Amino acid sequence: MLKAIPFLLLCQLTLSAAVDFDREIRPILSDNCFSCHGPDASKRMANLRFDTADGGAFSRSVIVPGKSAESHLFARVSASGAAKMPPASTGRTLTPRQILALKQWIDEGAKWQTHWAFTAPQRAAVPAAKEASWVRNPIDNFVLARLDQEGLHHSAEADKATLLRRVTYDLTGLPPTPAELTSFLADKAPDAYEKRVDSLLQSPRYGERMAIQWLDLARYADTHGYHIDSHREMWHWRDWVISAFNRNMPYDQFTVEQLAGDLLPNATTEQKLASGFNRNHMINFEGGAIPEEYQVEYVVDRLEATSTTWLGLTMGCARCHDHKYDPIPQKDFYRFFAFFNNVNEKGLDGRNGNAEPFLQLPSPEQKAEQERLKSAIAAHEKALPEEGVSKQQLAWEKGELAGFPVMGREGLQAHYEFDGNLTDSSGHYQYGRVIKGDLTYSNGAVDRGVDFDGQTQAVFSHVPALEAGKPFAAAFWLKVNGKLRDTVLTQGAFRIWLDDFELSGVQQRVPRLYVALNDAVIARTADRLPWPDNMNHIAINSDGTGVSVFVNGKPVKTEPVKAGVGSSAADTQLAITEFKGKLDDLRIYGRVLNTQEISYLSGQETLRAILNILPDKRSKEQKAWIRDYYLTQAAPPQDRKAWAELKALREEEKKLTAQIPTTMIMSELTEKPRESFILARGDYRNQTEKVTPGVPGVLPPLPKDAPANRLSLARWLVDPANPLTARVAVNRFWQAYFGTGIVKTLENFGSQGDPPSNQQLLDWLATEFIRTNWDVKGMQKLIVTSAAYRQSSRVTPELLEKDPENRLIARGPRFRLPAEMVRDGELYLSGLLKESVGGASVNPYQPNGVWEEIAYGDGFTSQTYQQGHGDDLHRRSLYTFWKRTAPPPEMTTFDAPDREKCAARRTITNTPLQALALLNDTTYVEAARALAERMLTDGGKTPASRLDYGFRLATARAPQPRELTVLRDTLNAELLDYKRHEDKAQALLRNGEAPVNAKLDKSELAAWTTVAGMILNLDETITKQ
Amino acid sequence: MIELTRRHFFQKGAAGIGIPALASLLQADTGGLPGLPHFPPKAKRVIYLHQSGAPSQLDLFDYKPTLNKTHGTELPATVRMGQRITGMTSGQSSFPVTKSIFKFQQYGKSGAWLSELLPHTCKIVDDIAIIRTTNTEAINHDPAITFIQTGSQQPGRPSFGSWVSYGLGSENQNLPSFVVLIAQSSAINTDQPLFSRLWGNGFLPSKYQGVNFRASGDPVLYLSNPAGIDAATRRRMLDGIGKLNQMNAETYGDPEIEARIAQYEMAYRMQTSVPDLMDLSKETQKTFDMYGPDARKPGSYASHCLLARRLAERGVRFIQIYKRGWDQHNDLPRDLALQCQSVDQPSAALIMDLKQRGLLDDTLVIWGGEFGRTVYCQGKLMDGNYGRDHHPRCFTTWMAGGGIKAGITYGETDDFSYNVVADPVHVHDVQATVLRCLGIDHKRLTFKFQGRHFRLTDVAGQVVDKLMV
Repeated sequence: MLKAIPFLLLCQLTLSAAVDFDREIRPILSDNCFSCHGPDASKRMANLRFDTADGGAFSRSVIVPGKSAESHLFARVSASGAAKMPPASTGRTLTPRQILALKQWIDEGAKWQTHWAFTAPQRAAVPAAKEASWVRNPIDNFVLARLDQEGLHHSAEADKATLLRRVTYDLTGLPPTPAELTSFLADKAPDAYEKRVDSLLQSPRYGERMAIQWLDLARYADTHGYHIDSHREMWHWRDWVISAFNRNMPYDQFTVEQLAGDLLPNATTEQKLASGFNRNHMINFEGGAIPEEYQVEYVVDRLEATSTTWLGLTMGCARCHDHKYDPIPQKDFYRFFAFFNNVNEKGLDGRNGNAEPFLQLPSPEQKAEQERLKSAIAAHEKALPEEGVSKQQLAWEKGELAGFPVMGREGLQAHYEFDGNLTDSSGHYQYGRVIKGDLTYSNGAVDRGVDFDGQTQAVFSHVPALEAGKPFAAAFWLKVNGKLRDTVLTQGAFRIWLDDFELSGVQQRVPRLYVALNDAVIARTADRLPWPDNMNHIAINSDGTGVSVFVNGKPVKTEPVKAGVGSSAADTQLAITEFKGKLDDLRIYGRVLNTQEISYLSGQETLRAILNILPDKRSKEQKAWIRDYYLTQAAPPQDRKAWAELKALREEEKKLTAQIPTTMIMSELTEKPRESFILARGDYRNQTEKVTPGVPGVLPPLPKDAPANRLSLARWLVDPANPLTARVAVNRFWQAYFGTGIVKTLENFGSQGDPPSNQQLLDWLATEFIRTNWDVKGMQKLIVTSAAYRQSSRVTPELLEKDPENRLIARGPRFRLPAEMVRDGELYLSGLLKESVGGASVNPYQPNGVWEEIAYGDGFTSQTYQQGHGDDLHRRSLYTFWKRTAPPPEMTTFDAPDREKCAARRTITNTPLQALALLNDTTYVEAARALAERMLTDGGKTPASRLDYGFRLATARAPQPRELTVLRDTLNAELLDYKRHEDKAQALLRNGEAPVNAKLDKSELAAWTTVAGMILNLDETITKQ
Repeated sequence: MIELTRRHFFQKGAAGIGIPALASLLQADTGGLPGLPHFPPKAKRVIYLHQSGAPSQLDLFDYKPTLNKTHGTELPATVRMGQRITGMTSGQSSFPVTKSIFKFQQYGKSGAWLSELLPHTCKIVDDIAIIRTTNTEAINHDPAITFIQTGSQQPGRPSFGSWVSYGLGSENQNLPSFVVLIAQSSAINTDQPLFSRLWGNGFLPSKYQGVNFRASGDPVLYLSNPAGIDAATRRRMLDGIGKLNQMNAETYGDPEIEARIAQYEMAYRMQTSVPDLMDLSKETQKTFDMYGPDARKPGSYASHCLLARRLAERGVRFIQIYKRGWDQHNDLPRDLALQCQSVDQPSAALIMDLKQRGLLDDTLVIWGGEFGRTVYCQGKLMDGNYGRDHHPRCFTTWMAGGGIKAGITYGETDDFSYNVVADPVHVHDVQATVLRCLGIDHKRLTFKFQGRHFRLTDVAGQVVDKLMV
């Protein structure tokens, strides 16, 4: 495939007297010379650089203005052999034309310019047009001036129907209806078109259409991406974008709220929600991944998305070293990075939906429910006044203490209370000792407990009860910290451990408890334990051959684990060597405990211990525990009832909170801000110089009095002095209408970017955007009401050869619709589209197995595709559920990006897979049938009028007689065929779930379905022209 | 952005151009980049048998008899040298050296060491080059597999197959130039996922993305006519669509319309060529026997290997197979054996089959995972059972066919298969070498995106001459 021929350049050489540095010379130098003679100081050769005027080129006779013969540059690029530049090792060569351009430029005085994009746009005077009658607004003056330069002529205005279809797709993403077409054609007012544009801009569909491009930039998706790729919930943010476009939020406000809405003074919920733009990046929680590595990737992603979307700069290139082409040193990258590095986030997160930080978004009903619970809870709390309850409780405690039962000591072989040491209070003097590290003691379940840190090791005397073959019991309180995969204690072959590792490296937060009696008998709890954060009582009974397990006084189911997993340690002492967490009240009995005893140990013993502590010496947990005990077991009936209700209400509140949707937002770490460093070679492990937040030095500075944070950054972006933001925005709008930007490389306005095809026009539009206070709808209207936009898109071979990409706008735009509009348009014209703005994403038809074939599967969300029904099948495509590792094929087949990273533009390809989708995908087969029904019911009585109706729906024009003949010939052949094979007709009508109009003859409907399918497959139907 | 193709330049007068003329233009269009190949190619196509999850080199290829002595002892710090390890074992207080329980033996004229789990691969050792020193930089699946398939650990770059089909184009008008086949895990433990980015086009035009030929349902998405549309009706519809598009082309003069007409015809041809490809009924019993008992089971690794040969016969440029299920963190002896049972015989059969048909000369086959596995045990080391964590510093890959030296074992690792002692082969070196076999200078296969000339090998990659004929 040939790359785009720089035909403009060729024209310049023959047409214009002077070679333009910005448009012609810098691209040559940048692409061929900068990597060794450019901004990157570490790779610079011969201490010579061509990215600035004072980089040695002029002072060292490399360039001698006016004298190419004396210039080393010209000598070296036209040399052969070893002297030739660029050297063969770079793989780059200059074309003879490029060498000629360099020569001519030097001979013309070698005039140097700063890169155009880094100086603020200058608003040129609107050029006078020779053909003033054609001009509708200043865009046309600039377009005409450029065409004049090239000796080209504009095209005639497109016919009204074509124009209406074009602008309706462009502003709403859908085609016009026949009624809209008729009324527009009938409206002879001079401003009929402008009125139509105004009304399209008022349609709620406008926001949906504008959002499409923004979602690509924002890398919006419904899953986290990376490895497991499970569900996340960001559609509230997506709906905010649609609404912002529909409200015509000025672009500066749109920018500030999305980049720093959370930092605005008294930020509203909506503003915080908007800041989710930079939480749409992928988030990882692959088992074994390193949090610091991914936290850095998230920040880099924010930087790249922000610099691409607003600045059109490829700042990401300066992550590992100074930028090779643009004046962005590596330090500037990390200063920009620092703006986005202070988010209160974890490196690995997202396992259970949204990752922190996020915002709760209760529905009105949920809000009401929250209020109801809040006041009910308050009322119950009032019914249990602290003072009164305390007094009664104290009285109860005194009585209780007097007659408190004590657990029998029968068979007790060891008892470690862990109240500050490792002594054994069973009377057997089986004391323990620390053999490595230090232990700490803090509040436990029964008075104090002992904390193990994973490193500290302790051994206890050999306890005879734990030898296999004899009955025994072990009971203790346990709280686990950090990793949940440690051995709690061992003695010889006897071992108790926890394991949350569930195959293939994914850790679950909830472990199972394993007990190995010896190498052969191993049991584990059948279910993962609902492991709360506080202490849990574990009791293990063994009759010598098997084990049973009790958690918090209640028996739990166990299952055997296959033999061969246990290990025999040589040490026969009771040992705790790798445990991380808290233990308390470990008792070992040489007999089996009965259920009352276990229940006592898991409850009464705690009560006894707390009762023995003076009320004001008790810890917070102990106070809460005994209060709960009293109000549940011992208080007067009305208090017990109120307490039970209060607890139920609090539980309900907790459940409700879990149901309330959330959306990820930005928020700053305030207490301990995260520091930022230059990372050598971009690697998270190589922190070097510490940096503070700052903007690239090549652009204007932040205001002196502004704090260096995201909010200042966002405001700086939309400061009129910023040379890039407005240009990048209007260029993006332009591309949506004309297919190619004025700067073709939307994502790169740097020196390696494509020079603007019409810089005066770009700069005028940019300054106009700022002058109109960033009026987004106003800018759309300006473009679509220009005569340039309204031209016919028919093209002659001559024009095609001169300007294949239509960069000069000598004709109107013609290109295949974006993926979303292909599907939405077909659903709409067939009458199937279900319109309703916003809401959770939906799952329309999708071939089986697209997710399942590659997904992780077990235990995570969004691993199996569950197709929706009813309206879900026919919503607009921007509401289709987007799974990043297996994006919707209906979209990616038509060039939608995968949404893993910020994407500024889509290529438009033309492939056989697109043909297959439109011919065979259930969505389109069903749409063809629905269109056929419309043609038969609303299209009049004759085949001709019905064909005309269907064709008009799709193309906004009547078919020509010869086109009608083709349609009618196929129809007749199919009528014959389907009448002969009614089973075939029935089979065709069964595609899809939308109800079939039973009043219609099946064979007739089937034949019409094939013709409707032809209409839906026409190039014209899926093309804006 | 509208993608410009050479059609725009070579076409004189769009109106009235006939379909035959257009077809020849399209043919030119599938011929890849001008100036490529840079060198006379040794291989015309690639079959990449990716073993996703990372098979253990210590239990299959990299024989370490000294582990019998060091088994159960702590991995010396002088070997580990503080290298970073995954979050799954970083909390482990002990790193016990773990020998393989599988027996090794030397095979073939080349005397290559192989484990008893590979009783078929041992028959092809004289046809392949075993590289023991492949190494990578990533230590977890997502970045590592993304690295080996796209040259970068983070998403966003084109895949290996996309680069190759962008550079060299297609040799078959009726099939995509880059085909992907996925075989599910044969192990018992849960498996690692895959991601469509691994065969994605990144910033290259989307026509270069891999097309996943699926084992169930339509082999290519939307390939079959819907119920109620038979071949005759489809043909009539296509003829009608073609005529109508042609009329519009005459009105608008846009070559994209001509291209659309041609794509509809190619879609129609794919409706025949793909089922023909997938239809194994004409293969002989002898062939099925060769690929083993799974060969008739759609979606199995064996049937994918057989399909790979059929794709190679039809000139498909890049055939990518993924076998899932190699992530043996625990229960390695059991699960590794299960994986080998389904992979060993078909992999060997593919080489023998290509060879007997004369296709091995210009088809390059790669077999390997995204990293290796640790010499130390993950979790408690037990008698007869163990697991191994991810290990990036060395792992074994084998290559065969077009341009690759046959019957060699390349590279040396230390006694623990932990570090490379001699002849390291980085992931980028593998990519550079494969491209070189295809006649491509990896530094000159570039695409300008965001102002930078990107390439598969990023800023690195050395062609390993010693691996090449």
